[in-house]
Amino acid sequence: MARFESLLDALGGTPLVGLPRLSPTHDVRLWAKLEDRNPTGSIKDRPALAMIEAAEREGKLRRGSTILEPTSGNTGISLAMAAKLKGYGLVCVMPENTSTERKQLLQAYGARIVFSPAAGGSNEAVRRAKELAEANPDWVMLYQYGNPANAEAHYRGTGPELLKDLPTLTHFVGGLGTTGTLVGVGRYLHEAKPDVQVIAAEPRYGELVYGLRNLDEGFVPELYDPSVLNGRYSVGAYDALRRTRELLENEGIFAGISTGAVLHAALAVAEKAAARGETADVAFVVADAGWKYLSTGAYAGSLDEAAARLDGQLWA
Amino acid sequence: MAVTVSIPTILRTHTGGEKSVEAKGATVLEVIDDVESRHAGIKGRLVKEEKLHRFINVYVNDEDVRFAGGLEAEVKDGDTLTILPAVAGG
Repeated sequence: MARFESLLDALGGTPLVGLPRLSPTHDVRLWAKLEDRNPTGSIKDRPALAMIEAAEREGKLRRGSTILEPTSGNTGISLAMAAKLKGYGLVCVMPENTSTERKQLLQAYGARIVFSPAAGGSNEAVRRAKELAEANPDWVMLYQYGNPANAEAHYRGTGPELLKDLPTLTHFVGGLGTTGTLVGVGRYLHEAKPDVQVIAAEPRYGELVYGLRNLDEGFVPELYDPSVLNGRYSVGAYDALRRTRELLENEGIFAGISTGAVLHAALAVAEKAAARGETADVAFVVADAGWKYLSTGAYAGSLDEAAARLDGQLWA
Repeated sequence: MAVTVSIPTILRTHTGGEKSVEAKGATVLEVIDDVESRHAGIKGRLVKEEKLHRFINVYVNDEDVRFAGGLEAEVKDGDTLTILPAVAGG
């Protein structure tokens, strides 16, 4: 169905498209789930709306309430749209080293942005948001890193959609941030089709982002459940950009930079399966489109130059 | 040939500021022990009770060793072992 009562109702049901040119063989095929076809253009619409609806059911959110969230961008944009339609205020705590488009979109939706320092990346945003939550007890922090509604949105939505569209699915590859996508989809797939391999691709940023003062400031999201994963790849900016451009040049898909990291891991998995002579259907997530990253220069000039421009930026 | 070990900023106090060091070993633990023999104290930051510190991630080339045998994960000549603190995404 393509008719909806409101933008919020148009969530999910995203297309799964084959990648005939990038698939290694006829027997090992790659499939992209286009999560940029969600209301604000990213996969984060799913957890954002699910977390808001859970807080409404629990009576934590009422008309006029203020939502607080640490976010490097997409979750904030999703929350800002839903908050606008539902009559909530929104305060986003965002690292200062994110793309300018993310800041502009949040401001366009009327969200307040509190910037956290670049060094330490999202860790600092989480720490600052927790301080703000304590100082403002009437604000409602949804907290995507530990909110079960985040993973549930993928357990109920993304996972079943994938298996319905691709019953022959053998591998699922997604980006690792809050871990919500991989934990939710992974749990669903392991229950519904236990042989499916679930693979994480996490961005490897420049040194600035890992600049913690001490190791005890390290952060593992409360949602993270490594038992649902069969492997985890760390992908740097150069490989992420290279794959992002290959996806555009070969298959016509204009994706964000994190998708390049996910495709890099998906190709590694697919090539291993092909080398063993297996038949495989490898599905991966296109978390958002490239629009929000044009100003980073990701799509122009040499890969080395583009990767150098991303150093120290939170590009996923 | 040897293994290249990439050291995060936070642990470079142990390597005299070096971003990466060369080491030998057939497993992650052997490589860490070899680094420790020249850069005393680093192992205690990485390994707690015979397991990797919960806020430390180690990758052989690009793959997280926790899914490949942990400290016993295989390392080959020419591999890069990358050590990184765990940070938030999202």
